[in-house]
Amino acid sequence: MSIKFYIFMLINGLCQGMLLFIIASGLSLVFGVLRVINFAHGSLYMIGAFLAYSLSTLLTGGSILNFLVLLILAPPAIAILGLLLEVSLFRRVYREEHLLQLLLTYALVLILDDLVRVIWGGDPRSVTRPDLLAGSVDVLGMALPSYNVFILVIGPLIAVGLWLLLYRSRAGNLIRAAVTYPDTLGALGVNVSWVMTATFMLGCWLAGLGGVLMSALANIDLGIGMEKIIECFAVVVIGGLGSIGGALLGSLIIGVGTTLFQLPFGRWALVFPYAVMALVLVIRPWGLFGKPER
Amino acid sequence: MDNTNRDRSSTQSAKWLGAALIAALFILPFVLSRMGTTGQYWIWVTTEMIIMGLFAMSLNLILGFGGMVSFGHAAFFGMGAYTVALLMKKAGAPLYLALPAAPVVAALTAAIIGWFCVRLIGLYFAILTLAFGQLLYMIVFQWYTFTGGDDGIHGIPRPEMLTPVNYYLLCLILFLICYFLMRMIVNSSFGLTIKTIRENMERSKFIGIHVRRYQWLNFIIAGAFAGLAGGLLTELNRFAQTDFLHWSRSAEPILASLVGGMFSLAGPAVGAAVLMFLKIVLQQAHRSLVELWAIILGLVLLAVVLFLPTGLVGLYEKIFSRSRS
Repeated sequence: MSIKFYIFMLINGLCQGMLLFIIASGLSLVFGVLRVINFAHGSLYMIGAFLAYSLSTLLTGGSILNFLVLLILAPPAIAILGLLLEVSLFRRVYREEHLLQLLLTYALVLILDDLVRVIWGGDPRSVTRPDLLAGSVDVLGMALPSYNVFILVIGPLIAVGLWLLLYRSRAGNLIRAAVTYPDTLGALGVNVSWVMTATFMLGCWLAGLGGVLMSALANIDLGIGMEKIIECFAVVVIGGLGSIGGALLGSLIIGVGTTLFQLPFGRWALVFPYAVMALVLVIRPWGLFGKPER
Repeated sequence: MDNTNRDRSSTQSAKWLGAALIAALFILPFVLSRMGTTGQYWIWVTTEMIIMGLFAMSLNLILGFGGMVSFGHAAFFGMGAYTVALLMKKAGAPLYLALPAAPVVAALTAAIIGWFCVRLIGLYFAILTLAFGQLLYMIVFQWYTFTGGDDGIHGIPRPEMLTPVNYYLLCLILFLICYFLMRMIVNSSFGLTIKTIRENMERSKFIGIHVRRYQWLNFIIAGAFAGLAGGLLTELNRFAQTDFLHWSRSAEPILASLVGGMFSLAGPAVGAAVLMFLKIVLQQAHRSLVELWAIILGLVLLAVVLFLPTGLVGLYEKIFSRSRS
């Protein structure tokens, strides 16, 4: 196998990693502000993917415009679902102990995953790629699928966008203040619970965006939510919970590593994320970018 | 004084109640076996209730007594199930060798997984148990040549002497042995240490308790009991399938513990029986309702979390104040 082949696989891995980052950053962001780890994040991602599928069946024809409609409509729909969940359920348990919060989001996974099965059934689905992104791009004499290149562009855009939002905008100031000093922020006249709701919605929007992007990349079925949430867990364990930079690094390690390990190990490459996770747990239990609690 | 007397008499009556319940459970299969096919069905159901009760009690060692949420307990249940299935089907081992191997294999698995999981507490522990549980599920799912993958392992031999009634009795006796073993564990100095850690981890560390090691041992013990339950279910159904390790399987003992009471030993077993009964009632009411079983489980769990947090905490305080007085 030539070096070009490895570069090809590397780019594929980066594409997987970027997709994972979009989803995991939402999980990490929500944890950073709400201190709740949302087990249902993967379910929201899955609903995003299935929603994209349903919308795509309504919009016949694979033009790029139709795909843009999916990208514009589906993630906000997930964000609105998030809004409902946050206001009706999550808000009640912020001050409770972790045990209750974990059980609440776990109950949501049971409900949402089964609802998806009831609504969409168990058959694998897929969304046809838009014509503009269905072909391949010639890079250094390699034919890269243009859809993967598209994700490789979107991923860093999201990363930069999140960074600008968190560190260069007033909204970001509020979010970061809500992480560190929620009480002081409230005393300054900011409605902290709406900052939390907005952050939660942003996290859900990211999950939905990941779902839409994924829907045209591979088959969607009932297992993808659990599969992705566990990859996200591996990402946050590796990068450190609540750290966006850590989420980026962790996602890229897992995406690239899993793809490259498929060459010698085939389907057993699925063990790779766990191996890295176990390794990080032994050397730096709080994650590469995280801080030890206490 | 008055209070202690009342306590003593109430534990006394609880003991009588327990003894009567056990006696009834021993008589039950002989009554049911005279009732034709419905009776046969109910023998099978009650056997499964006993097994799932054991599974729920084993999880509760971590959840109720250890104060940690494990979302991957089905992994050990499944390891026990596949140990029995593989030993009996592929190695031709008799049940009396295969069944004791189930908790051993499950405990070894729990030792490896637990070693990583107890390194971080709270949120991380929950994440890691789910993740490693799913890893085992995927390995069993993918390793087609060894585990049969999606097809599972069918046609596990059943020793001739194990009629449904005898198998029920075997499960009941093993359940009771496990119950008394767990009671010994919970009341031992080890069990008290585990409860101390649950109450106040910082202070436990200060008084020199090796917190991580105790939690690890507790995790292994719970895994072993879950493995035995898995092995028993495999022999009852005469098959093992990947579904036994699936993450949604881990939800049932959690809910059973919440419904039955996390802070009592037998509570989760009662909860498991109640849940199974509910499932059968739903099945009788309308077949399609069982299709929604996960949704129903989730809704009950939500309701408990949202509206009965005092149910959890209240019980907890009750026990706490009693041990203090």
